Amino acid sequence: MAYFKDDQEVYDYIGKLFENLADDDELGPKFRKANTIVQYQYRNPESQITVKMLEGEDGQVDLGPTDLEPEVVMTMEADTAHRFWLGKINVTVALARGQMKAKGPVAKILKLVPLVKPVFPRYKAQLEESGREDLVNVT
Amino acid sequence: MEAGTAGEAWAGPQMSGFKDFFQFIAPTRVVAGRGLIEGLGFEFSKEGAKRVLIVTDEVIRGTGLVDKVDAGVTDGGLEVAGVFDGVPQDSDSAAVTGAAEAAREHGADAILAVGGGSVMDTAKAANVIFTHGGEPREWEGYFGLPRDDDGLGRPQELAPLACLPTTAGTGSEVSFAAVIKDRDEHIKFQVADLPMYPRLAVLDPESTRTLPPQLAAATGMDAMTHAIEGHVSSEWNPHGSAYALQALRLIRDNLEQAVAHPEDDDARGNMLVASNLAIQPTSSGAIGIAHSLSHPCGAYYDVPHGVANAINLPWVIEFNAAGGEPIADRYREINELFGLEVGGPGDQAGHALAEHVRGVVRALGLPTRLSEVGVPEEGIPQLVEGAEGDGCTLVNPRETTAEDFAELYRKAL
Repeated sequence: MAYFKDDQEVYDYIGKLFENLADDDELGPKFRKANTIVQYQYRNPESQITVKMLEGEDGQVDLGPTDLEPEVVMTMEADTAHRFWLGKINVTVALARGQMKAKGPVAKILKLVPLVKPVFPRYKAQLEESGREDLVNVT
Repeated sequence: MEAGTAGEAWAGPQMSGFKDFFQFIAPTRVVAGRGLIEGLGFEFSKEGAKRVLIVTDEVIRGTGLVDKVDAGVTDGGLEVAGVFDGVPQDSDSAAVTGAAEAAREHGADAILAVGGGSVMDTAKAANVIFTHGGEPREWEGYFGLPRDDDGLGRPQELAPLACLPTTAGTGSEVSFAAVIKDRDEHIKFQVADLPMYPRLAVLDPESTRTLPPQLAAATGMDAMTHAIEGHVSSEWNPHGSAYALQALRLIRDNLEQAVAHPEDDDARGNMLVASNLAIQPTSSGAIGIAHSLSHPCGAYYDVPHGVANAINLPWVIEFNAAGGEPIADRYREINELFGLEVGGPGDQAGHALAEHVRGVVRALGLPTRLSEVGVPEEGIPQLVEGAEGDGCTLVNPRETTAEDFAELYRKAL
C-alpha cells in the first residue's frame, strides 16, 4: 500500500518540505544557483510539485497545476520520493533501476543531491511533529 | 582527521563485500579479430539490418576506410542506403539531426557508425531521432525513451545500430549513452537509455591503422581512466571490476607499444579490446571525478577528453586514496596489477599509482599540465561549477566539495 493516501498528503509533507527549503536562508540561495525549474511528477498517488530555482529570483513551489515551464522533469512513485527524503534512496541506483526517471539537463539537479543530505533529519522531524511516525519507520 | 584513518569508523560508500544492489548490463554482441570489415554485412544482417546508413566523418572517409566498409556491407548481402560524413570533431545537435534526416531520406532501416566517440555518439542519438522523432535536446536525460505499459514496461527498440570504432578509448560502441554538444548554449548534454546500446560492435585493428600516435595515446588514457575509475567508484561491482582489471592488464601490455609502433596490429587490436572492456563498469554507473574534472575542460577550453583525463587522473587517485583505507584498498588491487607498492598507508599507495600514471603519460608524449592545453587559472571557478554538477561526481568514492575541486584544478594546472 502506498504511504500517502492522496495527493493532498503528498503536498502536506513533501510539498511543505520544498516550501520550507525555498524559504531557508542558508539552503534556498544554494538551490537557486541551480538556475532551473524542476517538476517532480509522482505516481500513487498522482501528484505534481514544481519548484522554481532561478538565480536572482525568489523561490517558488507550486503544488499541483502550475504555469511554470519545467526544464527538468523527474518522474517516480511518491513512495520513492518519500524514501529519498528519509535518506533511504541512492539516486544513482534509483536511476539505474528505473525507479526515478529524469528528463532534461539532469546535471543541474544532480548537483543538488549532496546539498540535501542535511535535510533528511528535517523531513523526519517534520513528519514527527505532524504526528506521522507511521511514515518515518518505513523500510 | 580524515575519514577512514585509524581510530575513525568508515562512513563512506561500501567498497567491498556483497552489495545491497548492483546492476550490470552488457547486451552488445562483440566480434573481434582480423578481416572483419570484409564481413561487416554478414555480421550486421544477423541484427536485422537490410539498408544501412553509414555515419562517419570526413577525415575517416578520406582514409579510404569507408570504401572498405561499403564493400564489406555489400558483400554480406546488405545495401548501403547512403553515407553521412558530416560529424564534426565534437558531435553536436546539428550532426545528430542531419544523420537522422539522412537515414530517412535514403530509406535506411539500420545505422552503421564508423569512427571515434563523436561519430558513434552521433549515430546513437540519431537513431533515437530516426526512430522516435523530435529534436536531440528533447531526449536529454536518463532512461527517458518511450516504454510500453505507460512508460513502466519494456523500452521500445530502436533501429539496428552497429559500430566500428576507429579509436581505442571511448568504448562508446558498447555503452548506452551519447554525449552531444549544444553549440548555442556551449554545453554538452547526455541522452542515455538501454535501447541505445548498439546491437553489434566490430573490433578489427584494420580500423585503427591510420590512427595518429598522439590520438592513440590520448584515447588510450581515456580507456585507462574508465578502467581505474570503474574499479574504484562507489558503484563498483564484481562484474565491472572483472572487465576493468582485465582492461588494465591489456593497457599495461599494449598501450605504449601501440603508440610507439602503430604498425603492430596485435597491440592495436588489444587496445581496441581493452577500451571495449574498460567502459563496461559505466553500465552500472561506476565512474569518478577525473571525468567530472575533464568534462568542463572540454566544454570551455576544447581540451580533448583523453588528454584532460590523462592530466587529471593522477591527482584524483591521490585525492581519493587519502580518503580512507577502503578506497585505498581498491587502488592497491590496481597497484598489484602494475607491480607497484601496495603496503603503507592509503595516501602512499595512491601516490605510487599516481606516479606510475604520470610516468605513462610522459612516456606517451602527452601534456601533463592543464596550463599546457590552454586552461587558465582564472577559469577555475567556472570549471569547478561544471565539475560539481557533473553526473560522475555523485559516484566518486570520496565526497568532493567545491573547494576540493578547485584544489584539484590548481594542482593539475
